[in-house]
Amino acid sequence: MPAERSADAVVRLLGLVSYLAGRGPVPISQLAQRFNVSGAQIRADIDQLWVTGTPGYWPHDLLDFDGYSIERGMVHLTEARGLTQPLRLATREAVALIAALRALAGLPALQADPARREVAASALAKLEAVAGTVEARLDVTIAAPETAERLEILTVITAALNKGHRLRLRYSSAADRVSQREVDPGALVTERGVTYLRAWCSQARARRTFRLDRILAAEVLDEPSDPIWVAEARKVGPPPGEGDTTDVTLVLGPQWRWFAETLTVGEVSAEFADGSFALRLPVSDEAWWQGTLLWLAPGVSALEPPAAARAATVEARAALAAYGLDEEE
Amino acid sequence: MNDVPRTPPQERLLNLVIALINTRVPLHNRQIQRQVAGYDADASPEVFGRMFERDKELLRELGVPIEVDDEGGYRIDVSQYALPPVDLTADELELLWLASSIWNDSVLREETGRGLTKLLAATDTRRDGADAGWLSPQLQQAGRAYVPLRAAIERAQVVEFAYRAARSGQTMVRRVQPWVLAVRSGGWYLIGHDEARAAARVFRLSRIAGEVRASGGPQAFVPPVHVDVDALLADPSEERTAELRVQAGRAAALRARASRTRGDVIWVDYRLPDGFADEVASLGSAVVVLGPPELRQAVLNRLRAAAALDGLPPAPRLAVANAR
Repeated sequence: MPAERSADAVVRLLGLVSYLAGRGPVPISQLAQRFNVSGAQIRADIDQLWVTGTPGYWPHDLLDFDGYSIERGMVHLTEARGLTQPLRLATREAVALIAALRALAGLPALQADPARREVAASALAKLEAVAGTVEARLDVTIAAPETAERLEILTVITAALNKGHRLRLRYSSAADRVSQREVDPGALVTERGVTYLRAWCSQARARRTFRLDRILAAEVLDEPSDPIWVAEARKVGPPPGEGDTTDVTLVLGPQWRWFAETLTVGEVSAEFADGSFALRLPVSDEAWWQGTLLWLAPGVSALEPPAAARAATVEARAALAAYGLDEEE
Repeated sequence: MNDVPRTPPQERLLNLVIALINTRVPLHNRQIQRQVAGYDADASPEVFGRMFERDKELLRELGVPIEVDDEGGYRIDVSQYALPPVDLTADELELLWLASSIWNDSVLREETGRGLTKLLAATDTRRDGADAGWLSPQLQQAGRAYVPLRAAIERAQVVEFAYRAARSGQTMVRRVQPWVLAVRSGGWYLIGHDEARAAARVFRLSRIAGEVRASGGPQAFVPPVHVDVDALLADPSEERTAELRVQAGRAAALRARASRTRGDVIWVDYRLPDGFADEVASLGSAVVVLGPPELRQAVLNRLRAAAALDGLPPAPRLAVANAR
């Protein structure tokens, strides 16, 4: 077991004492929930506090608890040795909390949820009131504001999530096919500034991820979501059965660095003197890969295996033909 | 394992806090070493001094107001110690829990976690607010540049680091007065004054190569009161309108954004010329650009390159690369 950081332990121990001071007996289970640790940890904390106190460390110098209560699963502090006040926020704690809360308040998925938007605003006001002046040296925006149309779709989705109801979606897939689906919505995920809906799709009978900007319409259904599917949809990682991947390696010019930075998978496997680099990618979504190669092609100077380009090459030739051109021109 | 059981650091730190809160007169180094449980009364002044310095610094970082008087005596100012009353509702606490989960760096997670512990210790509100578990915002990792940059921002200290330019891929050492750390679209940025370029610049943390080093003393500059991160990161390009011929039943996502539609032709506004050309090219034969000409050209360049992908040199170059 990794040793707990003493900083975290000190803050929790001080918090425990000030919380218990003047409160009478409190169940261990309640303390565990409040401080987000196990009941065993609370017992260990009490043992620790019991031997702590003012110099001299005679019995009357130490923090003290009612031993009889502990046996019954209750914690009753009887001597706080002056630690009755809750400790103020440190500057860095206030900075991190306020930046996180501001980021959350500006999140499109929260902007589309009027009740929660109010909660975020009031929480932020209270936090700023107790933190004092904190200079804004940490400035976090998770995703850019959405257009009015998408915010409308997002509002429908958040309503379904809050109500625990199913959704009907009209969706344009990465392979550019439009379909109608009924889903049990699980979570709104924002990753690299892009918002996705994770849901259980009844048609596919599997977890699916829907990009917000490809959801063409959404409607809350009268039917409640199934909690089992909702829990399933909230899981992270690729859904089982979708794990088939092909490893491809491509060499890209230096000006395509940003592309590697936008990916959540893959790794730069080699660097070259001229600034170009090799990128190794696990490809699981054929449609995404074909679409990517179609625009990324000018930056690609080598590709392995060569067959990985076949579908994109065929589609590019068809596209040039649609322009009335062919690739020889 | 040591032969002698050592006092856990949190016990020593707690004893120090209790001693400094309860003392009527400020305590001096020697008294602290002899009296506070957890310090070795027989240690040399140097050994004790180092440990006490670290403890003091850590406690101050945690918000404990340790004061020192002119004679080098320490005590905790109780009037500065307490968190002002804060009355958070269950729903507000739920959002704070969620907020504390957005970070992907342990430093920030620990700091928000400790802040939250303090707030929870100061309220009777139970954790039974409306479920916000369906909101799952995620940030990238700031990485190891974060800690030294944050420290330099707090101290107004100039930093130096090797930085890889996005376009050329060349690495150059930059000297920067750091102002703000920011996250946009999931990525971390430093905004500051680049001394060589004598102007405000934006640096992506993932492009910093190697260590960030502080250079010179603290309070070396005065950062601007307000830094407009979005203005500095904004794309200056103006909005344009594309005229596109779209195959029936295809490119629905693009069609949904159209400002105007006539038969199989749609008009879509765009701002990022490269990004929009990428999006259109990725749709392949489903979309033909009718205008503007520079967009048509940009898409054709991509498609021509894609059509020629099967003529690329395959393995040799990669074999050399991987051998390096």
